Amino acid sequence: MYKIGNYTPDDSMSELICNHYPMLMVINRFGISLGIGEATIGEVCQKCGVPTHTFLVVVNMLLTGRTTPIADPVKLSETIDALLQYLTSSHKYFLNFRLKEIGEKLFEAIKNNKSELNPIIKLYFDQYVAEVNEHMTHEEQEVFPYIRTLLKSQKTVDNYSIDNFSKHHDNIENKLSELKDIIIKYYDTDSTNELTSALYDIFACAQDLLSHNDIENSLLVPMVKEYEKQLQ
Amino acid sequence: MARRNHIVIADPSTIIREGMVAMLAKLDGGKIDVAEVNDIDNLTEQLIILKPDILIVNPIYMGAFSLSQIKNEADAPNLKTIALVGQNIPQLLLKNFDATINLNDNLDAIKNVVTTLISEKTTPKLELSNREKEIVVQIVKGLTGKQMADKLCLSTHTIMTHRRNIASKLQIHSSAGLTIYAIVNKLVDINDVKNTISKQEKE
Repeated sequence: MYKIGNYTPDDSMSELICNHYPMLMVINRFGISLGIGEATIGEVCQKCGVPTHTFLVVVNMLLTGRTTPIADPVKLSETIDALLQYLTSSHKYFLNFRLKEIGEKLFEAIKNNKSELNPIIKLYFDQYVAEVNEHMTHEEQEVFPYIRTLLKSQKTVDNYSIDNFSKHHDNIENKLSELKDIIIKYYDTDSTNELTSALYDIFACAQDLLSHNDIENSLLVPMVKEYEKQLQ
Repeated sequence: MARRNHIVIADPSTIIREGMVAMLAKLDGGKIDVAEVNDIDNLTEQLIILKPDILIVNPIYMGAFSLSQIKNEADAPNLKTIALVGQNIPQLLLKNFDATINLNDNLDAIKNVVTTLISEKTTPKLELSNREKEIVVQIVKGLTGKQMADKLCLSTHTIMTHRRNIASKLQIHSSAGLTIYAIVNKLVDINDVKNTISKQEKE
């Protein structure tokens, strides 16, 4: 029996990761190196310069879906800042690594099946990557700088608030899930190891994107909203 | 897409929330996802994020909120609601709820209430009508809403409605996805759409 959530600084980091392997993504994005030995979550975070409470807020939210509001303004600001770094590194992972990898794997897997659908699947995927790119670039160039200014200047900005972002924040995972549904339903081919593995990766990546969106919607947005409120 | 059933239990009491979660986990072989909301003031926001099929809440905590107001603000007209009640409360408070669970109810009674509401969930018809198929063909050939409306002698509003219905029946929301569907189902020939595809590739 292992814990499903509410990890504390005194719990073992390796136990957390071995029991919930998606947390590998989390330590990667926080820039935590492996070789963590028997150290606790608190010790590892401190060593790597990651605010322990931020790390735990993310981990516990992903594991339980629950969030704990942070009232202390200093902790809040530190957490928001750490979340921005986390999300930026997560964006880089998706755009520069994961989606590229999946695309190559998928195209390679369908290459030998001379289906007339191949160019359309490629088109679909390329359009999807372009959309994700636009979505994440918007966050990097508009939303995150706004939040950073907010943290630095300690002042709210006229005619812009995090609400502007959250109201238009689409779910970027749907279209990727849809691609694998379409392939599973309509793409007539022998089941190969390569295609199975590519589809498996799409399932995992869609789940990962969903968690990524969750962190933005359930952690970042409410925290920035709270911070805006405190500044007013 | 057949989604798992999603229930939100909103109650300030940890014992009640966790108790309900434990009982719901025993229903339907664990095919129900349950989320908890302890802060009723933020219920609407949580409903927007969680998009549950069913909300379980004690009417006495609803205070100034009305159910219809919450459904409206959370944009969830189809949300089913179950009143979770501990003692006798005025019938008036229960009138807008779809069902009631009493704190003294046993597992079977709760199972009955929840499964009845779940089975009421409308299962969409997946077959496209002839008109919808016609519209799919026009979409994959790259026609705009206006062009389609002119060609089929329909209003753009009707075209929009058809497009929405097509998307919800097939769970395909992009034209590239519809193209694959249309080719596989022989609504169009690949040669008919080659131009549209290469045009999109260049964009």
